[in-house]
Amino acid sequence: SYNAKTIPPSLPSALATARIIDDIGQITYPEGIKSPKVELNINAKDGKFKYDREFLLQFMSICKEKPDMLPPLDAIGLEPTDQNHSMSRGGSGRRSASAM
Amino acid sequence: QEVDMQAQAEGIRTVFSDPTNFNVKHPLYSAWTLWFDSPATKGRNLPQTPISGFPQTPVPQTPGASVALGWMEDIKRVISFDSVEEFWGLYNNIIPPSQLPQKANYYLFKEGIIPAWEDEANKNGGKWSIQLPKDKNRPNIDKMWLYTMLAAIGETFDPYLTSGEEISPQSLITGVIVSTRPQFYRLSIWTRLAPSSTGTEDEQDRKLRERVETIGKHFKTSVLGYSDAHKLAGPLATEVEFLSHKDSEKKGKSAKKIIV
Repeated sequence: SYNAKTIPPSLPSALATARIIDDIGQITYPEGIKSPKVELNINAKDGKFKYDREFLLQFMSICKEKPDMLPPLDAIGLEPTDQNHSMSRGGSGRRSASAM
Repeated sequence: QEVDMQAQAEGIRTVFSDPTNFNVKHPLYSAWTLWFDSPATKGRNLPQTPISGFPQTPVPQTPGASVALGWMEDIKRVISFDSVEEFWGLYNNIIPPSQLPQKANYYLFKEGIIPAWEDEANKNGGKWSIQLPKDKNRPNIDKMWLYTMLAAIGETFDPYLTSGEEISPQSLITGVIVSTRPQFYRLSIWTRLAPSSTGTEDEQDRKLRERVETIGKHFKTSVLGYSDAHKLAGPLATEVEFLSHKDSEKKGKSAKKIIV
């Protein structure tokens, strides 16, 4: 048993302190959430689980917290371009022919 | 119902039952590292990582791998993760391929394997790849890359892995790549081994070829969503094709591709 009041409410700590599931068959999910396909993990051992896409996609709208270890994207040169909008119509996307 | 009660009594909370105070997470079959490069990361000597204590790019141990060092200098290590929950935290806070600059690449590789031919895990392998014209595929590429990553981290590319008929008890997949170029996108799946391109009668090689082809078919149909018989080659477009890294290096016409 546990005392809910002792658990800190801050977000990052949940991911940092959560323990690894060691028996995927023991986990039950709330109504409407599908378990991983059973046949994928019949011989699973040592926490080595396979997950089907349908199962994995269910996390998309829930796990949105930015990872603590993610460096600032601009510091590693990872910045979005706006090429999807007006730029592409002006034909500027064609100036380079250096396709490899 | 009974199991549910038991789980509650034991205090097991997944992110689905408690998104903020969950206390268990879903481990991945392997830990993964995301790498990135673009013209903006090249030759500018950007910090490998601005966060102290964050592991540096691993220094290759073998002579062959040291050749890859120059190549790896321009490739930035973004982050490593080993759970489903961490993967999505990353996914939801990073740029999708459709918004990357031209000539950029994401490399998602198993932890400890660098995205270079010279790595021990890659040197005997090859890659499945497909090239897609940018104009037609800009709306699809983000989903295709997501599904490629999910098949990789979910470890569903290689059905022989736990079928008991495995040639190697290890997964054949070492990593997946998305590349943006001025006129096309490319998606690649790297494998640890490659069947001989000369078509031997060797039983082991025949089984390996079958296993590698299964990965290619799964990539084409389940991940990319094409029908089995769909012909994909065209201007700026290729079929889903496999080439060993050794044959890629030859650059000649001798290179023999497998096509699914």
